[in-house]
Amino acid sequence: MAQKKLFPVTVVGSWTRPAWLVSALRQRQAGEITAAEFDAFADDAVLAAIKYQEDAGVDIIADGEMRRDNFYSFVVDKLNGMRLMKLSQLMDYVKDRAGFEEILRALDVPAFAIKSPIAVEKVSERDGLCTDEARFLKEHTHRATKIPIPGPYLLTRSSWFEGLSDKAYPTREELARDVVKILRREIMRLKDLGVDFIQLDEPSLSQVVYGDEAEQTFMCAALGSRSDPTHELEFAVRLMNETVDGIDGVHFGVHVCRGNWSRKENVLLQGNYGPLLPWLMRMNVHQLVLEMATPRAGEIEVFKEYRNEKELGLGVSNPRTDEIEKPEAIVKRVKEVLRYFDPDKIYLNPDCGFGTFAERCVNSSPAAYHKLQAISEAAEMLRKECG
Amino acid sequence: MAEEKTLNGLRPEKIKAITDSMRDDPEVLKGVSGPWKSRVVWQGGFRAKAYMRKHVVEMDEPEGLDATDAAASAHEQLLSAMGSCLTVGFVLNATKRGVRIHDLEVALEGNFANILKWAGHSPDGNPGYSAVKAKLFVRADADEKTLRELWRFAVEGSPVTQTIARPTEIITEFEKI
Repeated sequence: MAQKKLFPVTVVGSWTRPAWLVSALRQRQAGEITAAEFDAFADDAVLAAIKYQEDAGVDIIADGEMRRDNFYSFVVDKLNGMRLMKLSQLMDYVKDRAGFEEILRALDVPAFAIKSPIAVEKVSERDGLCTDEARFLKEHTHRATKIPIPGPYLLTRSSWFEGLSDKAYPTREELARDVVKILRREIMRLKDLGVDFIQLDEPSLSQVVYGDEAEQTFMCAALGSRSDPTHELEFAVRLMNETVDGIDGVHFGVHVCRGNWSRKENVLLQGNYGPLLPWLMRMNVHQLVLEMATPRAGEIEVFKEYRNEKELGLGVSNPRTDEIEKPEAIVKRVKEVLRYFDPDKIYLNPDCGFGTFAERCVNSSPAAYHKLQAISEAAEMLRKECG
Repeated sequence: MAEEKTLNGLRPEKIKAITDSMRDDPEVLKGVSGPWKSRVVWQGGFRAKAYMRKHVVEMDEPEGLDATDAAASAHEQLLSAMGSCLTVGFVLNATKRGVRIHDLEVALEGNFANILKWAGHSPDGNPGYSAVKAKLFVRADADEKTLRELWRFAVEGSPVTQTIARPTEIITEFEKI
């Protein structure tokens, strides 16, 4: 993507949902209003999210994921063969229930709050996954646009659950083949619509390296079977590269964070990106969109061996805090990163979205706006110094 | 014929009629008050089966106690009984007030005060739970104040919770066959 400016400011995707939108979402899920009626509410919410971002000086705008229940489960409305299931419903199929119970206790969340799209039949497309989002976004902003989509590893791992998926897909590798095909077709449609930046969300990769050794677990998602971490990471790299293979003319990023469902930092995963970078660097994407504002993300020196190998979507604002980061502090942080990345390799963004889960948004819209404004001010200061 | 309205999987008018009859009809009150019964039959090892009306519940102990862990233990089921009773109380009161519940979970936990007494290594102390923590997670169409009040009603009106919370006379008998 041709960005004329240095240090383009962008978002990771989701925006805080207004209470009326959450209420409408519940009504739609309960079948009390139609999808079209819900979309009318969501249109207003997207317009507000665009306005907030534009006013805050964001260069690459997202629609706030306002139409989504969460960053990946929305696919159940767009695909045949998928059923949205709560963890409380999956408990009957979980092998290690006691292990799940321990995680629920540690996270202090109810099982009904974690929802996953589960492949219960052969998966096929009904509508485009995010083409409605992209079309509306493109119609309502003149700025560059970003559409986040679930990554192929996340979607495969969260959707394949033993006891539920194995009739349609005896192995998750077989499901992965369909997931990759669906994502490729979606990417082509988004590209044709003129979307500038497609971000593939793969937060469950951090569970592979920082989480416990449980075969099934959940973090941002209820996660089905996994094997050893090396096998999982190889699998993730292969799926990513199959998904983006040969597609040019659109900017690709991969987003990996350590969880964004709670403001309690101690219940989220922690660890530096070191163990993940060898695999992330092998993914054929332009940019790594990473959280770096939270201390849980560890030290920046892990990039020393990978200088300028990829662009960095640098997380410089913690979406889960009340405190608005000072532009000067952001500038200082970016200067540390400039030891390993040239100025034209760095984009600035918050660590993650502000409303990854519609019903568990981690900040208010005004706070999100002020955080983005601080990032934009920092970007201006950096452009003056480095331009 | 008009279709009977339901809320939370219950019929609010029927629920009101039942609770009103408990208040107004001594025979109904007597029937609901008890006696409630359970018969527990040893199955070998630490396993047992509890027979209650037409229902059977199995119990065992964890493998750490050299048991087969074929079912939840009695002390876990006590927590579950309390959680279920709180759930019923919350749903009852919510339904009576027309509050629609979407999701509800109660997470319970407790630690034994002195389990050595159970193990035969301590003559004194309380082998039971020193405290029981119960946390409600609820998603419902009502404001927080209303839901907190419903939770208070559920806790204060829960027969199982209040049996645990209050000193209860335990009458034991014994017969050698």
